[in-house]
Amino acid sequence: MIFSYNWLQLFFDKKLPKPEKLAEVLTMHSFEVESLSRKGKDLVLDIDITPNRASDCFSHLGIAREIAAILKYKFKTPAFVKTTAGKKNFIKIEVKDKNACPRYTARVIADVKVGDSPKWIKERLEICGLQPINNVVDIANYVMLELGQPLHAFDFDKLEGKKIIVRFAKKEEKITTLDNQKFDLNNNILVIADSKKPLAIAGIKGGKKAEIDKNTKTIVLESAIFDLRIIRRASRLLNLKTDASWRFEHGLDPNLTEQAINRAAALIQEMTGGKPVQGLNDFYPKKVFPKKIKLDLDYVEKLLGTKIPQKEIIRILKSLNFQCRENSSRWVMLEVPTFRLDISIPEDLIEEIGRIYGYEKIKPIMPLSSLIPPKKNENIFWQDFIKNILKELCFTEVYNYSFISEKDTEIFLNSTRTVLVEIENPMSVEQKYLRPTLLINLLKNIKNNIKNYEEMKLFEIGKQYKKDSRMGVDEKAILSVVIIKKDKRELFYELKGIIDLLLNKLGISDIWYDEYKVSFEDVKLWHPKKCAEIKIRGEKIGFLGEISPNILDALNIKKDVCAFEIDFERLEKLCSEESEYQPISLFPAAVRDLAVLVPKKVKVADVLNQINISGGALVRDVDLFDMYEGKELPEDKKNLAFHIVYQAKDKTLSSKEIDEVHNRIIKNLEKNPIWEVRK
Amino acid sequence: MDIKAIKKEAEKDIDSAKNLKELDDIFKKYLGKKGEITRILRSLKDLSEKQKKETGMLANKIKKELEINIKEKKYVLQSSDWLASKFQDIFDITVPSKKLLVGHLHPITIVRRKVEEIFQQMGFSVVEGPEVETEWYNFDALNIPKDHPARDAWDTLWLKPESQKLLLRTHTSPVQIRYMEKNQPPLRIIAPDRVFRHEATDASHDVQFYQLEGLMIGKDISAANFVAVIQEFFQRFFNKEIKIRLRPSFFPFTEPSFEMDINCVNCQGKGCSVCKQTGWLETLGAGMVHPEVFKACGYNPKFWQGFAFGVGLDRLAMMKYKINDIRLFYSSDLRFLEQF
Repeated sequence: MIFSYNWLQLFFDKKLPKPEKLAEVLTMHSFEVESLSRKGKDLVLDIDITPNRASDCFSHLGIAREIAAILKYKFKTPAFVKTTAGKKNFIKIEVKDKNACPRYTARVIADVKVGDSPKWIKERLEICGLQPINNVVDIANYVMLELGQPLHAFDFDKLEGKKIIVRFAKKEEKITTLDNQKFDLNNNILVIADSKKPLAIAGIKGGKKAEIDKNTKTIVLESAIFDLRIIRRASRLLNLKTDASWRFEHGLDPNLTEQAINRAAALIQEMTGGKPVQGLNDFYPKKVFPKKIKLDLDYVEKLLGTKIPQKEIIRILKSLNFQCRENSSRWVMLEVPTFRLDISIPEDLIEEIGRIYGYEKIKPIMPLSSLIPPKKNENIFWQDFIKNILKELCFTEVYNYSFISEKDTEIFLNSTRTVLVEIENPMSVEQKYLRPTLLINLLKNIKNNIKNYEEMKLFEIGKQYKKDSRMGVDEKAILSVVIIKKDKRELFYELKGIIDLLLNKLGISDIWYDEYKVSFEDVKLWHPKKCAEIKIRGEKIGFLGEISPNILDALNIKKDVCAFEIDFERLEKLCSEESEYQPISLFPAAVRDLAVLVPKKVKVADVLNQINISGGALVRDVDLFDMYEGKELPEDKKNLAFHIVYQAKDKTLSSKEIDEVHNRIIKNLEKNPIWEVRK
Repeated sequence: MDIKAIKKEAEKDIDSAKNLKELDDIFKKYLGKKGEITRILRSLKDLSEKQKKETGMLANKIKKELEINIKEKKYVLQSSDWLASKFQDIFDITVPSKKLLVGHLHPITIVRRKVEEIFQQMGFSVVEGPEVETEWYNFDALNIPKDHPARDAWDTLWLKPESQKLLLRTHTSPVQIRYMEKNQPPLRIIAPDRVFRHEATDASHDVQFYQLEGLMIGKDISAANFVAVIQEFFQRFFNKEIKIRLRPSFFPFTEPSFEMDINCVNCQGKGCSVCKQTGWLETLGAGMVHPEVFKACGYNPKFWQGFAFGVGLDRLAMMKYKINDIRLFYSSDLRFLEQF
């Protein structure tokens, strides 16, 4: 909110500190002063009032009270109406719902001459960002800025039935506001009406019907309190926010209405020659009295961690208008002024004491506490472990948005649309859904970086989100990896090697890749042939494959892209830090090569299995070093070439022993009539 | 012959030696059993005490020098082959280094690890919770009432259908609530994780970011304890002396509440464009846990008290690496990521 430096000065006889100094003390003890700027002869302070203090500090009076407490200044209150004319009050007030309107105060002022306001009122309104209209309206606004209570003035002669009724609007009732906007009302919206029609949307905006104009002679001033939730709801329903609605929806002191209306009456009397009529209309069925709080002085010290003398505590609270009713050496009984809607528990008082005393006086003290070692977070531990391995393997970690767009769903998904979680109020069309897989954004990363990079290895560990009938949304941590290379040969196998290595480092050895047969929910993403399920001990933990050429076309990526996804939560359960050293054989190893010509459809795994089974314990390792299909070979055939490493744990193998095993392998391979070992 | 003249001659001989054989002969000529230097050393006994001392010292010094000269020459002669070929090649050490491929961790991962390490050293456990939350954990349990303007401070992304009242957490405070429900104090935790806001994006705001929240609860954990812990954290994080200051603030879940500034890490508090000439950077929100929050978690506020704080990890990373746009973190631009 905007405050005028000169206006604040009016509350004090003593000169205020320089504006910069004032801004600093307010920032350190009350609210942040966001900016300070000159406007004519005045200075404008833009103060960020916290919402809990809206009830008393959306006003110059409130800020002046803060200044008085911080700087120990004496502080004056403005003048209120004293004299009233002989006529008796002649308006009737009827409040239909005392919960919606706990207090309604009205005053009639006769013989008003509507015209321009004096220069000083206009100037102050303008400095605070309000447009001057006429003297009556301006004074109502002036008092709102001064004391915080929104006021409204009606033209008495325009009221039908000389009556004001506070009620909820009827169905299909309409109102035209002062600025000529038309609103349809409903029974959730509270209105101020005469005996026939709504005159104003309660607490939000006045209507055209009883507008003050230059012919107005008699006015009804309103100063009321409305339920903050009702005002907030109406303001949202109508999408209408005003200086008044803003104050009402934060809550106001019910005891302020009378003060404010009398202040406005005094100014109207002075500026317009109006004559306030005898008597105040005041509907106030349930008077609000000050709360009492007992403050334990030891607790003040215990919570702030610093000792503040009792005398100082009492001085601070008194300077903020708290009444000290009783006190002992251990506690103080305090009465909270009703304008402090934010204070209800001892901790609230401790905040008041602390901030006025000065938080800078709280010196650091390391806590005394038992030596309880922090718990290891397995989830974070394994995430970090995996990130480190992938980093060693030259991968770059990305953090993508958790969202995808409508367009993304069209490109990447088909059947999965039903599991998509949609955002009710997305910030943009790009962020309409939560990502059902991390791959969508990773593939877009490749597309976006490809102008600068030919090869990329990216990974992300993050949440994917799917609709779930039981929990609403199933969010799951996923490890997702994509890779694109200049040389696209063996990309799939490279990624498979990365998975093997990664899993081995996580202490997992029983890895199996299963051909993927049935229709998979994300099938649109993957190449229909070059994909596999990743299984550990028979349990599916992820999926590996080439990205479907259709998708790559749509993204205009000209090279093959391979990817895998692993369910991180399942993986984590299988990880182990335990690993045992394998003794290095003291005896030499011998390598023999072996080439087999087999039909293309034969799986390498089948050949490998045969070699391992036939070779037995002496085969330490089998390594496929070449896989060839081509012109020199019969059609439908491929040549597989292996290094076989022979080694025993307890002796040096003689060449005769090796030949024996090697020949047994060859013999067994050739038992299959269409497999041909090339010697 | 004068000993210095012998030295000169010997040096000349060594210099002109063409092979190891010649060098060996030179060694014998001067330093061998019958070599000239050896002879001088042997003849010392015939000299007066004074002369003995002077000549002896000089001869020994020259002997050592010649020995080194011969050793060096020997090394040169032995290496002559490759010296001739390689040392005459022109070798340009200014050719740029070969670019090696390495992997990169995301800057937020790096900062998050640093933060976790510092707090773990101070006994804080790291805890996590779901990103999709209920109204209860995100607002109600944190003393942020329904239909109240206090809620406006957290612009929220809601999920469809509206009837489920599910949302994307706007802070990691729900993680703390979930933890308190299951654990008894005393406790020390931090929750660094992804959060979401329904907020227009610019260089310092994004719809998602990372928040670090901390909580310490005990019998007598005070604001003064908070100051000490948080100052220690910042000094370790930035590896330098950091001044902090607390200002009043408002959060529904703490009372008293603080806004915390640190002295500008860019200008050391002198005033610059980063801190808008104030010397201070608004960094963190904090306060003493509100009794209503304790009640919501099933703690008795009479017995427990403590501090809570929240700070943006993105913001810490931006300060540490002088990054000027938060959106870079989620751009996945490799030209950015490869710098970490």
